[in-house]
Amino acid sequence: MGRVRVQAPQDLVAGASLLAVSLFALWAAAPLDAGRMSAPGPGLLPRVLAVLLGGVGVWLVVVSLVRPGESLGHWSLRGPVLIALSVVAFAVTIRTPGLAVAGPAAMLVAGAASPETRWRELAVFSVAVTAVCVGLFRWLLHLPIPILVIPGWVVL
Amino acid sequence: MSTLLSNLALGFSVAFTLHNLGLCFMGCLVGTLIGVLPGIGPIATITMLLPVTFGLPPVGALIMLAGIYYGAQYGGSTTAILVNIPGEVTSVVTTIDGHQMAKQGRAGAALGISALGSFFAGCVSTLIIAGLAVPLTRLALLFGPSEYAALMTAGLAFAVVLARGSILKSIAMVLLGLLLSTVGQDLETGAERMTFGLPSLSDGIDFAVLAMGLFGFAEVMRNLTVDQARDVVHGKIGKLLPSGAELRQSAGAVVRGTLLGAILGILPGNGAVLGPFASYALEKKIARDPRRFGRGAIEGVAGPESANNAGAQTSFIPLLTLGIPPNAVMALMVGAMTIHGIVPGPLVMTRNASLFWGVIASMWIGNLMLLVINLPLIGAWVRLLKVPYRLMYPAIVIVCCVGIYSVNNLPQDVALTAVVALFGYAGTRLGFESAPLLLGFVLGRLLEENLRRALAISRGDLAIFIHRPVSAWLLFTGLVVLVVAVLPSIRSRREQVFVEE
Repeated sequence: MGRVRVQAPQDLVAGASLLAVSLFALWAAAPLDAGRMSAPGPGLLPRVLAVLLGGVGVWLVVVSLVRPGESLGHWSLRGPVLIALSVVAFAVTIRTPGLAVAGPAAMLVAGAASPETRWRELAVFSVAVTAVCVGLFRWLLHLPIPILVIPGWVVL
Repeated sequence: MSTLLSNLALGFSVAFTLHNLGLCFMGCLVGTLIGVLPGIGPIATITMLLPVTFGLPPVGALIMLAGIYYGAQYGGSTTAILVNIPGEVTSVVTTIDGHQMAKQGRAGAALGISALGSFFAGCVSTLIIAGLAVPLTRLALLFGPSEYAALMTAGLAFAVVLARGSILKSIAMVLLGLLLSTVGQDLETGAERMTFGLPSLSDGIDFAVLAMGLFGFAEVMRNLTVDQARDVVHGKIGKLLPSGAELRQSAGAVVRGTLLGAILGILPGNGAVLGPFASYALEKKIARDPRRFGRGAIEGVAGPESANNAGAQTSFIPLLTLGIPPNAVMALMVGAMTIHGIVPGPLVMTRNASLFWGVIASMWIGNLMLLVINLPLIGAWVRLLKVPYRLMYPAIVIVCCVGIYSVNNLPQDVALTAVVALFGYAGTRLGFESAPLLLGFVLGRLLEENLRRALAISRGDLAIFIHRPVSAWLLFTGLVVLVVAVLPSIRSRREQVFVEE
């Protein structure tokens, strides 16, 4: 007998994350009144759910020490992080200067997520797609999306 | 019978306006266009196109969304046959014989029979929906809070069992979805729950943010990490209409598939996914020469494709009559209906009769349009399949961004979606599925409301759920399903079913 060997790393991390979420929810719901069974308050269900979630988490952790399962596998960070960044880039630029800039900007940042990207091709393509988006969403569907806003100069 | 006919007549009078026909057509066309792209299933397609319907009147929006859904499903089958990539679980089976047929130069016949079979299934299930709607709605009006809570619990139990992957993790996702739904103002007391003082959370987590993050962006993140090798069929597509012999061969399969799919689709908790598998297994079992299956047997395409479409349509039944979405796609429909100010449930049929029957009638029209649109456009779809992923994914990202922005015109929403997507991606890497979470999220508020009402009626006695026969029976069914699924022998068979060939 010696140290406990982790049999299923994926399940271990999964269970631990659930436990973390559960504890976080319990903390966040702490000020809420749970009420009585006959008059359940706003805090009852969140607390019950958090406890159940934590229970599943603990169960997963225990099982991961006993039953062999999947490894954590390869986590690539480049793709997900750059996609998230491109979405954030869109969020930052959509009000000013508007879609005309936000569109190509987001697409170019997203392009960095894949090693296969050909930059010149993507640059042309991003302008074309942005134009289609303007045509579709603004003109055809009349959604109030700013197209080009430069304060004191242009508002489209 | 005569009320059925007059209801359908009302429906067709609504659906047959030029405006709604146009929307139905657009929905089917755009749905197929996006659905054909490999790696984009119906859920992602509907999420992406949801904002397109915002400016429309409710009837038009729902008609268009239903069209998008069928289109996306049909597009998924096209991809399954031509590229061997299933867009979602239900077209996994189609890849087996469909892609073999394509390799033998019979892609046209496979696509043709899949369109014809789906059309037949669509006709039958439209009638089933119309026939069952009135009695089920009447039944639903008899349901009290405890029955509703029990029904939703049973539905979630089914959803857990029918999701792919670990049952324990699916349970966790349903619980997490329910938990997320409690964020925001409490409906009864108005207390702020877990909002951390953020004004944008006081209305609860936005459904569109969650759906777009989990199914739009996270999907792109997942696809970037897998190799996008594609096996697009080269050479000829072949004749589009199946030959007389092929038609005779598949007629029985179409009828059997339709019935299987329609029945399974009504089940709460995504019974529709079982249809294609069940149909394939059945056809293989009753075939005179089972060895043909896996080598391009047309019944292996005709049966599952009909089952697929029938199930897709009858899964509208729990949503339209009880207001309870049976799967993630219907959860999206609930989101769409709510955005348009319609609360799904038994009252829709009486209060919005023209909307209700209009949508049902347009289902049939949508199926007809798919047949008309897709057969001549197959050549265009093949060309679309050759667009490389390196160009496709930035375009998906931008369309999703514009979509999420246009829900509330708030840049914060867009940024929040990016965070949700990162969590969704991490979840997938840990073996968590997003679909049960979304279902739990949508059912959460309704479940809590009914739970609390039931407890108030019984003065806090939990036994109310067991004393009322219907709710006891529903809870019992849910429990049995869960227990059975955990038993080892069933578990191994369940894994077999979901193994991708």
